[in-house]
Amino acid sequence: MALEDQVPVVAGVHMIALYICAVIAVYAALRVITERNSMRKLPFLNVVSFAVTGIIALLLPHPLTIAAAAAYFVGSTLESNAIASTWAGGLKRP
Amino acid sequence: MLDEPIRILIAALICWFNFMIIDLIFKLPERGGVSGATAIAQEVEKGGGKLNGGYMMGNIVSSPDASAGTLLAGCGVYCAGLPGGLFAALLVYIGNRICYDPGYAGTTGCITATFIVYGAVQSGWFAASDFIAGMVIAILTIQGLSSVHASRLIAWLWKIRCRLLRGCT
Repeated sequence: MALEDQVPVVAGVHMIALYICAVIAVYAALRVITERNSMRKLPFLNVVSFAVTGIIALLLPHPLTIAAAAAYFVGSTLESNAIASTWAGGLKRP
Repeated sequence: MLDEPIRILIAALICWFNFMIIDLIFKLPERGGVSGATAIAQEVEKGGGKLNGGYMMGNIVSSPDASAGTLLAGCGVYCAGLPGGLFAALLVYIGNRICYDPGYAGTTGCITATFIVYGAVQSGWFAASDFIAGMVIAILTIQGLSSVHASRLIAWLWKIRCRLLRGCT
């Protein structure tokens, strides 16, 4: 008996893929909390963004979800970019 | 169709090679695209990693690259088929432009991933959701486990890429 027959499929959502994304998101969030160095937190934060983007798409299978997922992902990337650049010296004020 | 966990692992391997090959071709490990990426690379190097690997990790953090393209292509094909993947490529390009990146790596990665995912779904061996979870696993191996080991791995691959394709400084 295939494994997917035993796992509940809610509205066509693939639960194993969803669980994997959720577990990775929680793991990466814990790594963000435990990492001391601020710059080295950002790659873990990036993993959280990937996982949450995947969860958004898996939970809402609708064409407009692509726009939502991309908007969330680009927004979080831009935030990381801004945090890293500010930490690295930021804007040169006149 | 195989069991879902096995499909997800195979999809993770495919995604890993897709984004790594395209990022290496587009020279992401060569230098930091923005000052934040350079700063992340320097911190990774201070922690015992390699600078070139750190540059690529910093660039992945600072701008949507081929890994983001692969993930959004998976989401696009999952939600709306082939047009969804190509629409995701457009969104990745816009996202790249917002983040001060030329956008070649992200857009190319998204388009190749769209065709890979769509082909895999059409073949009947995979579901598009496998590639979404697979890409999350693939990015976990690079960004989420150990910055030291990941940066060394990327630096080693970068050396191989320089030997094969040249054009590195």
